Amino acid sequence: MNGHVKNMYFHQFMTPTTLLSLLLLMAVDSTRTVAASRHQQCAIALQQTLKLTKLVQTESVNLIKTYKSSQGEMSELFCKVSVNDIPDPNISGLEPSERIVSVYTHLQAFNSHVKRVYEQQTDLQLPTSPLLMELSTVSVRSRDLAVLINSFYQSLFPNLPIPEPAGGPTTLPPPQNVFQQKVYGCVVLKTYKGFLSNVAKELRTLKTKVCRRGTQTNML
Amino acid sequence: MVFARGLQLLVLASLTSVVVRCGAHSHLVIAPQSPVLEIGTNFTATCMIINRDEVTADDCYWNLSKTTVPKDQYTRVNRSALNVTIPITSETSEWLFCLCKDVSHYVALNKGKFIHGIWLEKGYRPTKPVNLSCEAVQEEKSIFKTITCEWDSSGSQSESVPTTYTLIVKKTSTDEIYNISTQLKRAELDLDTYPNHMNLDVWVTARNKLGTVESDHLIHDANYFVKPNPPSDVQILSENGFSTSLLINWIHPINKVYVELKYQIRFAPRGSHQWTYVPLMDTAKYIQSFRLQNLQPDTKYVIQVRCKNSVYDYGYWSDWSTNATNRTPEDRPTSKPDLWRIDEDNQQWQIISKDPVFSNGKIKSFEIRIESHRSKEWGSIPVNRSDADSSTGNREITFLKKMQIADDRSVKVYVNATNSVGKSPEGLLFIPAKAQVLAPVEDLKVWPEGGQLWVEWNAPKPMSVQEYVVEWVSGGWLDWQRENKSTRRTAIKGILEKFVCYNVSVYPIYSGWLGKPARTEAYLEQQAPLRGPNVKLKGDPGRNEAELVWEEIPLHSRGGFITNYTIHYSSGAETHNRKVPANITSYRLTGLSGGTKYDTWIEASTIRGSTNGSNHSFTTLKYAPGEIEGIVVGVSLGCLFVIVTIMLFCLYKKDVLKENFWPQIPNPGESTIGNWSPDYPLRAEPPKENCLSGISVLDVHMCDAKCVFEEDKTSLSLKKDKYLSEEHSSGIGGSSCMSSPRQSVSDSDEGGDMADTTSSTVQYSSVVASSGYKGQTPSSQPQQSIFSRSESTQPLLDSEENPDMMVQEGSRQFQHFARQPRFAECAGNEDTADFDRLRMEPQEANESLDFCPLEEDNEQIAPPDRLSAEWLPVKPASSYMPQLGGYRPQ
Repeated sequence: MNGHVKNMYFHQFMTPTTLLSLLLLMAVDSTRTVAASRHQQCAIALQQTLKLTKLVQTESVNLIKTYKSSQGEMSELFCKVSVNDIPDPNISGLEPSERIVSVYTHLQAFNSHVKRVYEQQTDLQLPTSPLLMELSTVSVRSRDLAVLINSFYQSLFPNLPIPEPAGGPTTLPPPQNVFQQKVYGCVVLKTYKGFLSNVAKELRTLKTKVCRRGTQTNML
Repeated sequence: MVFARGLQLLVLASLTSVVVRCGAHSHLVIAPQSPVLEIGTNFTATCMIINRDEVTADDCYWNLSKTTVPKDQYTRVNRSALNVTIPITSETSEWLFCLCKDVSHYVALNKGKFIHGIWLEKGYRPTKPVNLSCEAVQEEKSIFKTITCEWDSSGSQSESVPTTYTLIVKKTSTDEIYNISTQLKRAELDLDTYPNHMNLDVWVTARNKLGTVESDHLIHDANYFVKPNPPSDVQILSENGFSTSLLINWIHPINKVYVELKYQIRFAPRGSHQWTYVPLMDTAKYIQSFRLQNLQPDTKYVIQVRCKNSVYDYGYWSDWSTNATNRTPEDRPTSKPDLWRIDEDNQQWQIISKDPVFSNGKIKSFEIRIESHRSKEWGSIPVNRSDADSSTGNREITFLKKMQIADDRSVKVYVNATNSVGKSPEGLLFIPAKAQVLAPVEDLKVWPEGGQLWVEWNAPKPMSVQEYVVEWVSGGWLDWQRENKSTRRTAIKGILEKFVCYNVSVYPIYSGWLGKPARTEAYLEQQAPLRGPNVKLKGDPGRNEAELVWEEIPLHSRGGFITNYTIHYSSGAETHNRKVPANITSYRLTGLSGGTKYDTWIEASTIRGSTNGSNHSFTTLKYAPGEIEGIVVGVSLGCLFVIVTIMLFCLYKKDVLKENFWPQIPNPGESTIGNWSPDYPLRAEPPKENCLSGISVLDVHMCDAKCVFEEDKTSLSLKKDKYLSEEHSSGIGGSSCMSSPRQSVSDSDEGGDMADTTSSTVQYSSVVASSGYKGQTPSSQPQQSIFSRSESTQPLLDSEENPDMMVQEGSRQFQHFARQPRFAECAGNEDTADFDRLRMEPQEANESLDFCPLEEDNEQIAPPDRLSAEWLPVKPASSYMPQLGGYRPQ
């Protein structure tokens, strides 16, 4: 008897308006849950990218020390000479997507240059030289970092493919003599270190902007 | 079914074509070729006959190795194809042959073309690798590029179908794959550069000829697998003024950019084996220092630190760092000194104390105050304690004062311990007068359990106890511990030795006053005695018993409570034993055999075993004490009794004896021979007063040298009176009458004279014809001639007349008679007094007759003929015959 009364009450209460409101509430709640999940994934991906950036940055600092110590006399001088065709360590673009793309394209460019430095130093150093090992490590990690940036970008902007570099493929320097190679290597590494520092800063910024904004965008 | 049949026919067709292409060397073909079979399944093979019509499937058969497969496992597919199904059970690879019988000459001549075989490889399908775990260790300042993985696989493998494992690591972002294959369940994979902060997908595939199976995938950040080095350069700082804290510093083993770490700290007082862990929530951070608090002052602590990835459940804990040690600063003692006493003899008490439990530093001195009756004493006892003493963890016992306390006096002792920082609270001990004994605890029990000695007691009923002191003493070593008033059971916390007897006491303390102790003995663990008791005899052994005595085994050699002694004693063949209680130290063995050597030893027993003591030997007496004396006394008494009896008998029966031994000799004076008057002129009668009437007592000293001397004298007198010949006779009768002036001569030629001489006296004499009379030594002439002549008026006895008859009569009489000649030799020189004495002592005379019986015997056993022969030179017959003739008229 009591149950019957309750059912009657339920039918009276569940008007179409109420039902619609309830469905909307559930939809909003579900959306919030998905957004929170995406925000968490964004943060995790960004955090992982940031950690790797810091690691490569730290290793690049050590790499420069190792590079200088392995180049013999006048190593400090090598690093003060300016060299053309080295990628700009600064990140360009206004929008986060543009800046992320800038990071990615710069990383690709630096990877090519670091790879060239490795090749040049292979001729200049003994195979067991720690410089070669560190150069290799930085090169590998840089490649990994580029992959992470790419993934992060695609996770943030799944409908925006990463555009090809504006200036075409990375321009590497022509054949150089040993002095030029040493100068070139030092400048590349030094610039790369600066670039990584900028990337780290950019990622920290993105952490507060992109992941939150992305959530808001999705919310809208 | 239709599909299977179709597949089979397809296989056959393809095989046939292959065989035809190969030139048809064999007319039989088996399908499938070189199969790999899973153990536990059934395998079906088909044998096909090619290009021979005279051979059908019915003529074929299968051999598995050298064994023909039973027909019931065959299936005839068609006229030229035969199936066989065999179960795959063993791991051993083997051949399966298809053969044909000799159904034609062609088959018989070409056997090689009618056989075909396949090699069966058997194995197990690979099983899924489980429990995959990987670890990447730190090398120098980064993570080593090699990742090491391990996994389990429960499946079996056969030799012919081995399983190969492939470890695969994939960077999920870049799809770069690294892998390595192995047949072990562990592999190390080089990743060139360890991909920190990159996601890795790790899995293992197990592959063999029967299939491939893949493990579960581990998809994690690369740092999930990292095991860092332990923190380096761990240092502990002790700060003055902070006596209960230590500051720990260390260096991160790896840069944060690689792995962000969290830490864990553990510490323990030095010497302790119990680590205390700092709660992880306090240290699970990326920190390089930590302050330990609430430590004990002046205590050396050992500290270790370890680390792991700070992300929850990521990575592995590093090993613990090496020990870092430091001591907390000192503080003043915060607990009382543990005051106690040793009750020595003669009212001597030794006040002792342990350092306070929380001495918080090295104790420098004790300050003691003693209040007794109306007197008060103060003193300070300096303590010089080395670092080694305090580092052992044992609380040192300090002897504070030795004091004399009269039984009727109570004493209060107060003690403070002082270290370099300050003074402890006051410890006190009140010793009551002996008359004021305070109640002891009740029902004290002590027992070993779990390697400890446990003590249990009940509180004394009438009074409230402040605390208890459990004391244990062994071999001059004393220790104690305090228990609070609610304690009824506790374990002794000191270091106890096994097999040592401890005297355990529980003292109740009543407001500082020492109560009467309850006491018992206990062992932590017992063993058989180290040596047995030394047994010895108490006194001398008896004939059937011996009393053994032994000393108790010294306490340090007992090894446990002696449950009993067993006395063993052995006489060689058999060993006996007697079991006696442990409180017995002497025992009297009874039932022993006399004059027997016994070995005895004592076996002492505890609940853990027995040990024999030294061996002791003794010999029981052959006779019991007094037994010999008894026998001697008995025999002596018996002899005495016999002698007395004989003497009494002699006294009472002397007449009988006299008659027997000294028969009544007829008086010669009354003999008719007295009237006999020879032609020889009558001589004056010898005085009769010196002669006993009727009896002549003869005394014979056969061996007396005097006789010889007297004999010489006699011979001299004879020479004087009638020196003549051998036929001379001595005085008649051989009595003292012979010493009379009357010459008594017996001569065969002077028979008348003889008669005349003896006319007034009885003549009873022996005539000795001896060469001694010629001056020769009598002893050299043993031959003696005996002549007898009686002066009695009565006729001579037969025995006198016929000496041969005497020999035949009783020896006694013969002896008596035979001595008469000797008497005759000696008697002539005997004075009358001697004669009287002899007469009054017939017994003695009788004894003298027994003297030198051997000679007598010789004489006795001499045959009459011999005697006669010996007498021949003497010619007795010629001298005697006239006399015989003289008797006849009587």
